[in-house]
Amino acid sequence: MSIPTLERETDLDAAQQPDTPWVTIVWNDPVNLQTYVSYVFRTYFGHPRAEAERLMLLVHNEGRAVVASGGREEMERHVEAMHDFGLWATLTRDGS
Amino acid sequence: MGNADAGWLVRPFEIRGTVIVATLHEVESEMLCQLAGQLAELLGDRARTDRSDSPAGSAAALLAQLGIGGSASAPLDPALARLLPDAYRNDHTAASEHRQLTELGLVDRKIANAEAVVASLTNDPVELTDAIAQSWLRTLTDLRLTLAARLHIEDDGDEGTGDDAMLDVYDWLGYLQGTLLETIEHREVNGEL
Repeated sequence: MSIPTLERETDLDAAQQPDTPWVTIVWNDPVNLQTYVSYVFRTYFGHPRAEAERLMLLVHNEGRAVVASGGREEMERHVEAMHDFGLWATLTRDGS
Repeated sequence: MGNADAGWLVRPFEIRGTVIVATLHEVESEMLCQLAGQLAELLGDRARTDRSDSPAGSAAALLAQLGIGGSASAPLDPALARLLPDAYRNDHTAASEHRQLTELGLVDRKIANAEAVVASLTNDPVELTDAIAQSWLRTLTDLRLTLAARLHIEDDGDEGTGDDAMLDVYDWLGYLQGTLLETIEHREVNGEL
């Protein structure tokens, strides 16, 4: 696919802002119940049931899923909240 | 991920009016009480390490008094390491800094949840308000993560090695959590939240 020049420039601008390009990743583990992981995504992130289910299955099948993106401090708060729930989560710079 | 498939017939939770009530047998209640107590002890040991790692009078010690201190490195015990994972996967420095700022708070909240479960079990009936139900969900998770580490359950499909009784307890805790979630959702769907 081709990407219009304008969009590419916008993406570059976003990447240069220190506060934007971070993501929260939830990793699969053999312990947590699928219903629990969905419940956490629904109640903590406020996702509709279908989206929470989709993210849960992504974690289960792919081993990981990006569940949020934004500023670094916000992602650190999300990761800490996931650890409160007992989910295995990390944050990283988007694309790294 | 795990599944809560099991052959138990008696449902451990019911809805009375708008309140969720745990209807555990006495022996089950004692078991959960003991496990949650042990979890609080395990985490309490870590909290003491966190606090004693900070030199007296240092900024870290002051932060620890405010409940926002923490050790610089992940716990060696695999169960504690899973309960308190690194926030950064491939950046040791960032993981260490984040842990020093947040671990003690995380540990204290986990202990508070476990203690809330223990306290709730002394009531008759054992009523689970929304806040107590959250403590139950999180403590049941932390207990299963701890037992899974002891049973070497590391990948999807691992059945666990070691003590059969511990495996039974692990499955039972999963059943408790699964049915508690079903009960919570049933109550939501019926507009009782």
